[in-house]
Amino acid sequence: MTASNVITQSNWKFHWRLTESAGIMVYLADFKGRRVLWEGSLPYVTVDHQRQTLDVDADAPEVHGPWWLPLGTRTLQGPVRVQTFRGGVELSAAFAAGPYQYTQLWRFHDDGRMCPWLTIYGPGVHDGHTYHPHFRFDFDLDGADNDAFEFFEDGRWQRVSQEGWFPYSGEADTEGNVWRQIDFGSRASINLRPHSWDDAEVFAVRYHDGEWAPFSPRSAAGSQPFPAAYVGQEELEGEDLSLWYVAHVHFDQSFPYTAGPWVRVDGFR
Amino acid sequence: MPAKTVAAKAKLPKGKAKPTPKRTNGKVQAKRGAPADVALADPALFDPLTPGETADALRTLIEDKRMSSMAKVGRYRVICTEPLVVKPPHSLAGHRLARVVAYDYSSDRAVDATIDLDAGIVVHLELSKGQPMLSREEEAIAMSIAVSDDHVRTKLQMGDGPQTVLHYWGRTPSDIAYARRSAAVVFGREAGHATLVAVVDLIDQQVTQVVPAEMW
Repeated sequence: MTASNVITQSNWKFHWRLTESAGIMVYLADFKGRRVLWEGSLPYVTVDHQRQTLDVDADAPEVHGPWWLPLGTRTLQGPVRVQTFRGGVELSAAFAAGPYQYTQLWRFHDDGRMCPWLTIYGPGVHDGHTYHPHFRFDFDLDGADNDAFEFFEDGRWQRVSQEGWFPYSGEADTEGNVWRQIDFGSRASINLRPHSWDDAEVFAVRYHDGEWAPFSPRSAAGSQPFPAAYVGQEELEGEDLSLWYVAHVHFDQSFPYTAGPWVRVDGFR
Repeated sequence: MPAKTVAAKAKLPKGKAKPTPKRTNGKVQAKRGAPADVALADPALFDPLTPGETADALRTLIEDKRMSSMAKVGRYRVICTEPLVVKPPHSLAGHRLARVVAYDYSSDRAVDATIDLDAGIVVHLELSKGQPMLSREEEAIAMSIAVSDDHVRTKLQMGDGPQTVLHYWGRTPSDIAYARRSAAVVFGREAGHATLVAVVDLIDQQVTQVVPAEMW
């Protein structure tokens, strides 16, 4: 099934479609009539394994690399669902392949919150594996350019001048936000609050047309995987940005687990 | 949910990514013109390609002279064909674009192309050693190779069958899947736990590893 739709509800107007490999993509999303998001998706979920042994080599580097399968048309189970809830509207879709099962969610709240989430369940191949969902956001807050990226560190928001990798250290502002994108013109902001168990990190890179989608987390052998491979030394301040939120979810027979950030739009008066 | 080793954490210093030469990864080189107004973007440009648009994009790519060697040998797989939308003020903003990703087995390389369906031309072409996801055909081939492999068959338990196929790559150069296009076929009982993993080298079309699932 491949479909394209527009939803206008709960102060939001957004479009969505099912992709081949990046789950449900939401695009051209507006909150209270103002542009927030050009495009957001879940380009891939990789899975790493930690073999379950108690031998002396247990601390040795992992033998096997990661693997992944696309969340999209070929793994979709049933239809993409659109449902209202008290104070908002949500999209959900289930994906499955063998021992891996996922439910992708996009929830939109009427107070400006947006939840791009992924629920992970299923047994996997054994109990020792880590899931790495990669969410990609191209926020166009009140226009594409004239944005900045900030990271909460050392007790305050720090402006970031250059592309880079920004892991969650446990430090956050009073509302739990760790990263934010600010529009200089309107002073509106997009705030990202990680799930405290996501072991999350954000890659902030300059936007380039067509950089979505790599159709794989893997670039060439021996090279950095995506999105790290996108990170160079380009300036961020005053530019159009793309943010990648990557979670690291450790399977300990405790599934289902829902990864992904809370995203909140602030400053729209 | 106690934390375990997370290899990904070690890859970059905090806040300062290791400088990496940026590949274009399919991004269309910017040609700036009119001022940007993303709020006026046409949502229809994001719509899935029609079967005709997909066929048009593939024909245009294959007829491009730069792809003549790939087309002539004919040993390639189309991985994905999806709409691509670029923002204003790019000169291609507002155009109906298709992004075609293929894997050329004859040269062991990835093909990432952008087709302007309005103009009927290839507007961007990148050939690289990247590894795009598996095509549906590659998944089927990997499954077929694994199922018919004698070594795999001797390891299967009663009721085991292929559960899924994943795009796999080795972590170290000693793993043959480090540099060669590979798939992992997971076996197990229907709706049951995985029992066996077979790694298939898609270039030579042979099984290169057979590992009990609990040892993966």
